Amino acid sequence: MPKSLKTNTDVSQGVRDFLKHLLESGKVKGVLALKKMDGSGAASYAFMTSAKELAEAEPLAPLMPANAGKILSELTLKEAFGEPVAAFLRPCELRAFTELLKRLQGSRENVLLISPTCGGVFPLKFLADGSAKEKVPAYQQAARKGKNAEGLRAACRACTDFIPCQADITVAFAGGADSDSSCRLFLETPRGEEFARGAPGTFGEEKLETRELAGLREERAAQKAALFQDIGKAIQGPSALARTFSACLGCHGCSHVCPICHCLLCVFDSKMHDSQPEGFDSELERKGGTRIPAGTLFFHIGRMTHMAVSCVQCGMCSDVCPVDIPVTEVFSLVGDSLQKVLEYVPGRDVEEPVPSGTYKEDEFAQVGEQ
Amino acid sequence: MTDDFEPRIIGFLCNWCSYTGADLAGVSREKIPTSFHVIRVMCSGRIDPLFVLRAYLKGADGVMAMGCHPGDCHYLKGNYNARRRFVMLEQIFKTLGLDSTRIGLWWVSASEGKKYARVTTEFSAETKKKGPNPIQKEIFI
Amino acid sequence: MTSRETRKDKRAAVLPAREGIQKAVTGFLKKALERGCFEAVMMPVRAPETRSYAWLMVKNPELLDEAAPLPPVMSVQGGRALSSLTKHGAPPLSIGVVLRPCEARAAVELVKLKQIQLDDVHVITIDCPGALPLKDYVRGGENALDRFQALLEHWDEDGAIRPACERCHRFSLDISDEDRPLAPSSKNGAFPVEIHIGLLGENKEEILLIPLNPSGEETLEKLGLTPDRPLDGWAARVRALRKKKEEKRRAGHEEFKKEISGLDRFLAVFDACINCHNCQNVCPVCYCQQCHFDSPRQHLTAQRYLDRARRRGALRLPLDPLLFHLGRMSHMVLSCVSCGACEDACPVSIPVGKVFSLVADETQPHFQYTAGKSADEPLPLQSFLKSEFCEVETPSECREHQSPEVKSHA
Repeated sequence: MPKSLKTNTDVSQGVRDFLKHLLESGKVKGVLALKKMDGSGAASYAFMTSAKELAEAEPLAPLMPANAGKILSELTLKEAFGEPVAAFLRPCELRAFTELLKRLQGSRENVLLISPTCGGVFPLKFLADGSAKEKVPAYQQAARKGKNAEGLRAACRACTDFIPCQADITVAFAGGADSDSSCRLFLETPRGEEFARGAPGTFGEEKLETRELAGLREERAAQKAALFQDIGKAIQGPSALARTFSACLGCHGCSHVCPICHCLLCVFDSKMHDSQPEGFDSELERKGGTRIPAGTLFFHIGRMTHMAVSCVQCGMCSDVCPVDIPVTEVFSLVGDSLQKVLEYVPGRDVEEPVPSGTYKEDEFAQVGEQ
Repeated sequence: MTDDFEPRIIGFLCNWCSYTGADLAGVSREKIPTSFHVIRVMCSGRIDPLFVLRAYLKGADGVMAMGCHPGDCHYLKGNYNARRRFVMLEQIFKTLGLDSTRIGLWWVSASEGKKYARVTTEFSAETKKKGPNPIQKEIFI
Repeated sequence: MTSRETRKDKRAAVLPAREGIQKAVTGFLKKALERGCFEAVMMPVRAPETRSYAWLMVKNPELLDEAAPLPPVMSVQGGRALSSLTKHGAPPLSIGVVLRPCEARAAVELVKLKQIQLDDVHVITIDCPGALPLKDYVRGGENALDRFQALLEHWDEDGAIRPACERCHRFSLDISDEDRPLAPSSKNGAFPVEIHIGLLGENKEEILLIPLNPSGEETLEKLGLTPDRPLDGWAARVRALRKKKEEKRRAGHEEFKKEISGLDRFLAVFDACINCHNCQNVCPVCYCQQCHFDSPRQHLTAQRYLDRARRRGALRLPLDPLLFHLGRMSHMVLSCVSCGACEDACPVSIPVGKVFSLVADETQPHFQYTAGKSADEPLPLQSFLKSEFCEVETPSECREHQSPEVKSHA
């Protein structure tokens, strides 16, 4: 049974208290988590080192202004933390961080990873129009009961990977039936146990799995199946693909916010992707017309070949698209199909190599032999 | 499909095995399709999936990649990587409803001139049956 | 010579537009293509099964059936589209393209930045009533197209258009001085627009084709169109509307400046910024392959992050959104043409365009510079006079402020 730490406050306060304890006891020198920006319910990630600032933390705010796995990777890209810090990440952000670790894009050293069973986040437009705050109570209630709140990101509604893997401490949020009056932290690793020692609350052997959690799992699975079916139909074949991406501006915002896309100069931002004058004559002769800027599908499908195998379905891509292209839906469908064929779950285990960077001598015997 | 449709096929051949095999086919006067454009790469592991994707999106009716048999790669491991890349590429095509049989990876060794002729001829014939790559009609790509 | 004709003497050809502007202009371009004025046409065409528009370069006029020379939205900024086409050299065929005035201004700036090649490009601009906000339009305002139709008819519809367009007074040619040529031009094509399409004529069922240089005259000739209509009516309307818009711009900027004055209020504008850099990516003038703010220079060591966080107790991440915005401003605001592409692209609706166009209006005049006005006007930071701006220099180095004794020793 996983060891647990329980306090008799609502889960948001409980998490804040725990982070406060970690900081004030000197066990960690900094905390990465969402922080309130003003009274509107808006939040942004902050790396907090003072108790005063930490008091404004809102780790469970239903927003994802950036994928925190990407942020944590940038923090530890050049060198590992020399002093212990804590990071509160959603399961998909944590999986993204794990995928980035496999690509040598950061370090887990000295980082205490805390992650909740996730109730999802709202789209960025609620961050923009300040309506996030009023949605919070309904959101928390839905999460407690193991239901999807109204207005979540499509990616979140259909997310079946909402229980963290590779975390040191799991927080029972979604599906935590009484998370309005009790905060349960599950100590998953020796590091988790070590950091929790001496924290306020009762140690015990609680269960993470609840009826509500099981219910949420079912609902999400059904939503995922429906999502994949719908988007699958919308992108079958060259015409359908062209239509789905026809409004694309080529801003590459999707790739810039994607946690897996870490290349400092993406090949699709480089000269490789630029149009060369010689190419147009034959294009125009053959088709009568060509799109400017060129290479819309080449960018999207090309990006799939680079990162879909590690796509964690976090939903940042769809959210930043200025023309509402369902990028997340398409990429997570392709990602899911690749992951099945390669028997891979992104973020499941940091020791598991990325399938596109490894091979077995005896596998896929049907390929090549024709 | 009209009889005069000649599928345009791009072939990425690895230098040590398949390119040499192709050479052998030529020297042995084996029959090979006319509209077959060979691009020599040093190893099938050099084949970036983007090469195949670019060729396909530019309208190639078929894209063939060829390398040494597993275990025989001149650089030891390149073809194992190529194999995985093609598994990935073919699955992406399948999920997106693009014809994954228009692309593929074949093992052709330096002594397999006949095999080279066979696979290219077969692939060309099958591609001819399918007709031109439908992507050729799409402008908004 | 066309380029020396004053506004008073200039004449336009008249094109009937009984079925609306889009059809009339598209028809004109199709005909020009057929008559060999250019070998290809570049225009926004409605992208299949979406409301949005994508630029197409076509040789086959049938592909222009869903074309809109003046689409309800500005999806990809036209200057940016032309730059992506010609950055590495002009394509081996001549192209005719219709641009909104801000897109043409961006193209002029890109000429100076060497990111575009307009040698064989026949640029045609058009009077612009503004564009609808991209996100609203794409998300399906049902009557969006009707709104735009009304806009094309009435021209000063309030509230329907993008904030950048509401404040735009450069929606047409600069006709402030009757006795000057319409477009500053020189041998090298300082203002590379060959025809301007006037929509503000007296008769709503006619549009005016105003040739601005010999190439424009040639095009009209090939189409059998004679420029014989005086511009007075159109010019009067443009002047009147421009005056209105100038006042709106001035008042709007003044009000906005108050809203954002002081650090707290300025920071509040960028509160929701997620540092996605969409604004920079869609900006026609921001052309760097790897922006400074996306480069390795921006990465700190873990210890440095911790140290910085300790200074104030917390460090917002992703890092330094304000540095990004102000830094980008210092790089490009002197070339900002107030097109508003940045605003359309922001996922959290930050009024980026408002901030940048306010600063542009207050910085460009220091150099007597107007972004996009002429390709002959050098970029302000790429040129200098040996003696200027002594108010910025320290008194001891500025000759004007030196004491007579110091001067005599120099």
